[in-house]
Amino acid sequence: MTHSSTDPKTTSTTNSSIVFDHVTKLYPGQNAPALDSLDIEVKSGELVCLVGPSGGGKTTALQLVNRLVDLSSGDIRIGDRSIMDIPAIELRRTIGYAIQQSGLFPHYTVAENIAIVPNILKWDKSRTTRRTVELLELVGLTPVDSWLGRYPSQLSGGQQQRVGIARALAADPPVMLMDEPFGALDPITRMAVQDEFLEIHRAVGKTTLFVTHDIDEAIKMADRIAILKPGGKLAQYDTPAEVLTHPADEFVAEFLGAERGLKRLALTTVAEVLVAKAEPERPAESDLPKVEADVTLREALSVVSAAGAHGARVMERGSHLGDVTLHDLVDPPANAVDARNGEGVGL
Amino acid sequence: MSGIAPAGDPVIPDYGQASECVINNGPFCGDWFVDQWATVFWPPLVDHIYMVIIAVVIGFVIAFAAALIAYRKRWLAGPIGIVATFLYTLPPLALFQLLVPFTGLTLLTVEIALVCFTLVIIFQAVLAGLAAVPEDVKRSAIGMGLNQRQLMVKVELPLALPSIISGLRIATVLTVSVATIAAFVVDSGLGSPILKAVSSPFNTQFIGAGALAVLLAFVLDGLLVIVGRVLTPWMRARV
Amino acid sequence: MDESEGLMNEIFGAFPFIAANFGMLMEKTSEHMLISLVPLLAAIVIGVPIGIWLGHIHKGEFLAVSITNIGRALPSLALIAILIGFVGIGMLNAMIALFLLAFPPILSYAFQAVNSADRDLTRAAKGMGMTPLQVLNKVELPLGLPMIISGIRTAAVLTVSSATIATIAGSGGLGDVILNQVAYGIEGVLAGAVWVAILAILVDQVFALLLRVAAPTGVKQLRATTV
Repeated sequence: MTHSSTDPKTTSTTNSSIVFDHVTKLYPGQNAPALDSLDIEVKSGELVCLVGPSGGGKTTALQLVNRLVDLSSGDIRIGDRSIMDIPAIELRRTIGYAIQQSGLFPHYTVAENIAIVPNILKWDKSRTTRRTVELLELVGLTPVDSWLGRYPSQLSGGQQQRVGIARALAADPPVMLMDEPFGALDPITRMAVQDEFLEIHRAVGKTTLFVTHDIDEAIKMADRIAILKPGGKLAQYDTPAEVLTHPADEFVAEFLGAERGLKRLALTTVAEVLVAKAEPERPAESDLPKVEADVTLREALSVVSAAGAHGARVMERGSHLGDVTLHDLVDPPANAVDARNGEGVGL
Repeated sequence: MSGIAPAGDPVIPDYGQASECVINNGPFCGDWFVDQWATVFWPPLVDHIYMVIIAVVIGFVIAFAAALIAYRKRWLAGPIGIVATFLYTLPPLALFQLLVPFTGLTLLTVEIALVCFTLVIIFQAVLAGLAAVPEDVKRSAIGMGLNQRQLMVKVELPLALPSIISGLRIATVLTVSVATIAAFVVDSGLGSPILKAVSSPFNTQFIGAGALAVLLAFVLDGLLVIVGRVLTPWMRARV
Repeated sequence: MDESEGLMNEIFGAFPFIAANFGMLMEKTSEHMLISLVPLLAAIVIGVPIGIWLGHIHKGEFLAVSITNIGRALPSLALIAILIGFVGIGMLNAMIALFLLAFPPILSYAFQAVNSADRDLTRAAKGMGMTPLQVLNKVELPLGLPMIISGIRTAAVLTVSSATIATIAGSGGLGDVILNQVAYGIEGVLAGAVWVAILAILVDQVFALLLRVAAPTGVKQLRATTV
């Protein structure tokens, strides 16, 4: 994961922010709301994770946006338009939607699945075909020709999820809703698909609302995290680093778990520490374990600890960039952490 | 009783030279079967096929429509299901006879009764197929902006097809069997040569017509299997 | 006008007929039940254990499916007629025919009932140290019982229903009334048809009730299908 703060985040010029304005959802027959006066803004191009225990209303919040669930009170705006001003079906066609189990149509081939929304929008054939090929390349299902004609049953879970993402992106929606899209994958596939999705996200810059129950996934993926607690109340809405260093309350601290400190170290790479350190020492001694520049502090700490050393040599493509000390790893310079902590757009 | 049926005692049919097998009323006389194919077996077989196809097609249309309505308005599923099950439970012969005062000794009587027997099977199959469409597929379809009609035509019906086809198969096979009983009402179908041979009794005619009915059931069943395969290519796609 | 009046007379004539011939109908009913229930019982006694055993060892899927298909395709009329040639006229003929009709659904439902028991459950039961017999008694049978009864229900309706046709083999029963317009008139035919229809529905409902009782508490009621 190499994050650069200089990457332009938004490729589209139109405003595609998602604003939750005092959003409350009370399901009929229940006396407590599933979502209680939620107020958050997801900026254009931002990736926001909604996390929380089951019963926290995170899926409800997501489904309110594409009107699979109706608002009880409050308003949601995409760009400057209230979602209530747009007919539900029309609205949904402008929002990418990916869910757990992929939701692929089992009776459609990969190509047909991706073409669903373009077809209802009556795109011409050649445009749809071009888009399909482009998307399959984007999600790494190449050579494209060998994937187009397959049915979902012929794909692995990870491949299905990639097609699911491609399908959600098909009509180039400015906004993406993702409901635990990687929830059913095994840990290794999951990591791979997360990395790919981050790359795609960086490339296409869709405003993305991402529901997950996995806090590690949220820390890894999100520009900002919204933590919901039972009863659908917002506990905290901030950057991963801020959430980890300054949990808003007991609930958030407990939700983040005892390894909160270690999780925080996963936010920063050793390269960022080196940059932040004014004058990196370059001692000649070489008994320190080597780490690649793009590993996180957490991973580097693990390597150092395993070697019983007090620091590590940071390498990039075989050349020695400098050393980090055990102290650097455990208590990184503040500006290294801040590098990706500014305003939530600093991925 | 028509002239083609062997009648009276002894069992020898009164035409031409009878073979040893026919004289002794053996279990199945191939020569007689071949000789009489064009007069005794072929016409009832054709009638039988028509009878079954008409009944299954009409039954399918009614049951399919009823299932769609019951799927949309869940509270209707119970009452419709009870009526259909009630009709299914009636003994075929009793239903035929109960209809005779209204529609006479006609093919219409037969078709009404046969349709009644197909209803419950097809109704339940369509409903079960629709109910088994995976929730995540429906949710993502709606989430992508498919409207109700598109959801039904593009997602729910295709995915219910395997269940619908298997319902059609059962209904068809059963109708082939029940349609033999129509011979008590009209002189038509494969039950007809069977009933005509009862008084003799002449084995070749029983077994010939009975076997044709079983064979017809299997052929129609096989055809539906093929139709099902053609319509559901994704069911065969495996890694 | 006349025609519909005649129709009404015929239909309502069925009820006085039932009143006037109650004794005869009851006698035919007992014959009917005899030729239906004896083969049904025989099919249960033979079919259920075989089905359970095959299901328990998870073998014979093909056999069970084939028997069901053939059983469904076999026209009762043809079966009874063919048996006239081999067994002759009388009750035995009807009983053999009805046995052959009742056997397939009973066997295949019993097979499916046990065969389709959740493998995780049976594995867990084995893992707890249950013997195969205990797995059968404590897990597979209680869970499969509703389905076994469904099979018997299907077979029972089928035999009661097909027994009406057995009259062509001279085995008595309510078919004697339904198919003998010469002797009993149109009222008699209709009365017999109504009577046997009620009988079939009663039999069906008795098993529906049994099904409700048999489903183990905690197991979602198996929807009783007649198919």
